[in-house]
Amino acid sequence: MEAWVIATSLIFTYLIITMLLGVVANRRLSVDLEDFLLYGRKAGFVVLYLTVVATYHSAFAFLGSGGFFYTHGIGFWDAGAWTVLVGAITYVLGSRIWALGKRFKYITPADMLADFYESETVRVVVAIVSVLFTILYIQVQAQGLGYILEVASGGRIPFELGTLILLVVAAGYLVAGGLRAVYWTDVVQGIWMYAAVWIGALVLAFKLFGGPLDLWRQVAVERPDLLTLPGPQGFFTPGMWFGFVVVLSFGIVFQPHIMIRYNTAISGRTIKWLGATTPIYLMTLYIPAALVGLGGALAMPGLDNPDIIFPELLLTHAPAWLTGTILAGATAAAMSTLDSILHSNMTVLTRDVYQRYVSRDANQAHYILMGRVFVVVLLGIGYLLSIKTFEFLVVVVALSGAGALQLMPAILGVCFPTRRLVTRAGVLAGIATGLIVLYLTLVVSSHPLTLHGGVWSLLANFAVTAVVSRFTRPPSARTVRRIHGEIERYVYGPPPSATAAVSARDTA
Amino acid sequence: MTEPDRTDTQYPRYRSHYRPRTRNGWIAVVGFLAFFALTQPPFVHTLANRIAPTVFGMPFLYVYLLIIYVALIGILIWAQRKGV
Repeated sequence: MEAWVIATSLIFTYLIITMLLGVVANRRLSVDLEDFLLYGRKAGFVVLYLTVVATYHSAFAFLGSGGFFYTHGIGFWDAGAWTVLVGAITYVLGSRIWALGKRFKYITPADMLADFYESETVRVVVAIVSVLFTILYIQVQAQGLGYILEVASGGRIPFELGTLILLVVAAGYLVAGGLRAVYWTDVVQGIWMYAAVWIGALVLAFKLFGGPLDLWRQVAVERPDLLTLPGPQGFFTPGMWFGFVVVLSFGIVFQPHIMIRYNTAISGRTIKWLGATTPIYLMTLYIPAALVGLGGALAMPGLDNPDIIFPELLLTHAPAWLTGTILAGATAAAMSTLDSILHSNMTVLTRDVYQRYVSRDANQAHYILMGRVFVVVLLGIGYLLSIKTFEFLVVVVALSGAGALQLMPAILGVCFPTRRLVTRAGVLAGIATGLIVLYLTLVVSSHPLTLHGGVWSLLANFAVTAVVSRFTRPPSARTVRRIHGEIERYVYGPPPSATAAVSARDTA
Repeated sequence: MTEPDRTDTQYPRYRSHYRPRTRNGWIAVVGFLAFFALTQPPFVHTLANRIAPTVFGMPFLYVYLLIIYVALIGILIWAQRKGV
């Protein structure tokens, strides 16, 4: 049997498995918006762990990261720092977001921010930022998927058709089973992609170099420029190193598809364990990516598009069944992120726009139906975006992440009580300034003074938020007491006076 | 979202949540930030930016960062077990 038949068959087998999971999830679905959008807030550790890691790692982890090691060398091992930071953010911030979501029934980030800042304008702005910047992510994943299927089939399934097939499958199981279907497929995808990257990288390392350690030794001899900073093209300057850490940690966590996941956990303890242990998966996935990229720079130098190094090495040096299995893993990586973004955008549009401004008092079934309609619309937009351009994957990811990063001062203002309150006007002015500076420092003049544009925009955002908040009206005392009081109770327990009152009452 | 009550002007005063309030909290935060600083400039672009000495053939910078990343994960797990 020809290699492309085996590879394509394995990918389609994988797609059938995900669709079956969608059907089963549909049978478990009740007519309840929280069940459809939030898995009924019942996600346990294992399911939540695998859906978070599978969602965080996308087509970029499979294709872009190998390409980055290939081009810029060991500098991309910076990835370990931002993935560890994602764990810390989840630990500290995710658990607070969960506590507020559970207490006040928040579903989206805009729910939380609009409630604290007492502003519908904040809700709309946050919803727009959330959707606008994650639509770029749909494009990245869809392009990755189309490319994988095109490569696996030896060009027999064109990029445009491959993209459409995989988008339709992801949207199909999401429409059928809601977030439950997304979580169940993410469990399969999380395991599959991790095993695939490791097995593929090790097989290539042994076949081409005699093993991973021999690979490292050979790189040190033949391409030592790949093993120090800032890399062969001078990319990983101190400013870019630090910038990537900020943008790809906070910037990704503040995207709605990750933040909404915090609200689905069954307990705060689950979120803390998630934060403490997800970096194990997230960080170690870049170990085989380094082997692929650096090994590829020796084995297959001079590629025009370095993103294709992993599939090209597999197709040239690995058996067909293994190539197919691993490319199915790459499909899993892209689909697990794609379905989550489709879900989060659907949730934001249904909850923050439709339910709020179009139809306030409809029944649950109506909102679920509208959510499904939004998925179909998003699928169309994502498809159109994906077939128009094919940019270097990581640049688009960085732009997407830096957009959501602008929510950082607003979110910290809610989740970390201090004496100085952040105000509605401060938040809106900060986000507006941050987005303008982001455009200037990423598009007009890319990364001034070699510091990542995302960091410039965040600095400007924080400065403007702080200054404007000093001179404008804060949220009402009642709201601050309600929300910050809940955070205080969740993190540190009830105040001593309350505890004393309870124990005195119990004694009496 | 509830209507803001502007007659209630008595704002609660909470101690900053950016400062830990327990010994274990301080250990976790200072330990994490100290190790994390070692993964950032200027350390990583100066002291650690070298191939030799290699460890089992792997360059120094790679192993240096790997060890610190593992230590950081260890701190997070320790913090969770201590209830920070």
